[in-house]
Amino acid sequence: MTITPGGGAVPAPTQGSGNLYDVLELVLDRGLVIDAFVRVSLVGIEIAKVDARVVVASVDTYLRFAEACNRLDLEAGRKAPAQLPDVMERVTEGGAKGKSKGALSGAVEAFTESLQKGRHDEIESGERPRRGKEERREREPVERGSERRSSREREE
Amino acid sequence: MSLYVYAITKPSHPLRLDDLKGVGESPSELRVVHGDSLCAVVSEAPDDLSIARRDLEAHSAVQERLWSEGTSLPLSFGFVAQDEDAVRAVLEQGAEQYSQRLAELTDRVEFNVKGVQDEDALLQQIVEESPRVRELNEATREGRGSYEQRLELGQLVAQEVQSRHEALAAQIVAALRPLVYAENLSPPSEQYFVNASFLVDREKSEAFTEASRELGEQLPEGVELRLNGPLPPYSFA
Repeated sequence: MTITPGGGAVPAPTQGSGNLYDVLELVLDRGLVIDAFVRVSLVGIEIAKVDARVVVASVDTYLRFAEACNRLDLEAGRKAPAQLPDVMERVTEGGAKGKSKGALSGAVEAFTESLQKGRHDEIESGERPRRGKEERREREPVERGSERRSSREREE
Repeated sequence: MSLYVYAITKPSHPLRLDDLKGVGESPSELRVVHGDSLCAVVSEAPDDLSIARRDLEAHSAVQERLWSEGTSLPLSFGFVAQDEDAVRAVLEQGAEQYSQRLAELTDRVEFNVKGVQDEDALLQQIVEESPRVRELNEATREGRGSYEQRLELGQLVAQEVQSRHEALAAQIVAALRPLVYAENLSPPSEQYFVNASFLVDREKSEAFTEASRELGEQLPEGVELRLNGPLPPYSFA
């Protein structure tokens, strides 16, 4: 492949916490954990760890992929070279939010927004806009990496 | 008074903390709890700790300062000890283990690499390259076709997506591996097909950054590689 939208997207090494979103899960989830200390209960911490959600092989996933394929504009796709600037633009625009279609991406967007605005409120799962597709996917009960399941899922 | 704990260091660390703010709405001063062979950086625990920008930034700013001036073990966000005695007890009990980690992390930094792929572009490729997928896609568009056909289509596509993501992730990790001391790979998620942290010798930081940049340029269209670092070694503490 010679087209390199990815190349331009590699950012310069970040300094300070300017790119907090991209290192969020490191700060929340990767540092040293000391059992003798108490972890303050934090509203939204499981939502913020949305990145841990693993893609699951389920009927729901299959149907979503089928639907997504059906929606592709195949005529436009066959003229692929003309479409590239569009793809590049979208990739670039994706920026910090990426092209996440994850079940909880709405929450992450709300969370990111809160980070960007520097608001100090905690993130309430109820305050984010939800799309039908996401609601459906959120109910998927199957998940690998079960140690990272959110409390919501554990209740199921 | 309970204490918010940021990091563990050796007493030889400069521990220059005076102009840093701790977590909380009205942060208390950062200070050092000294154990026999190790120290902990703490502040009074606020009542209003939250995972919004203010506290996350304060937590990371402390980690970055400590890391830029010495070696430290960054704690995960949100840990609180009952009092100084509880902190000293932990420093004592874990002394050997923590000292070993500190030694291993000395003069090394973390880089985190995340890969994102434009889903539509990927699906487009799969449809174009697989005759069976193309056939099923035609048969099921605009609500036509059977449930079984849609399921078969989705399953074929899901397998293709997974194997392509795995191949890309393997390519990325293999390309960077020669430059790293250790790696910590997260399983692929819905958001990132690869999410890998690498522990890199400080002196190889530039080479690693350059290699990541070159790698990003070689990746197919629609694939974005995001590099963050050098960072305190969150993933290797």
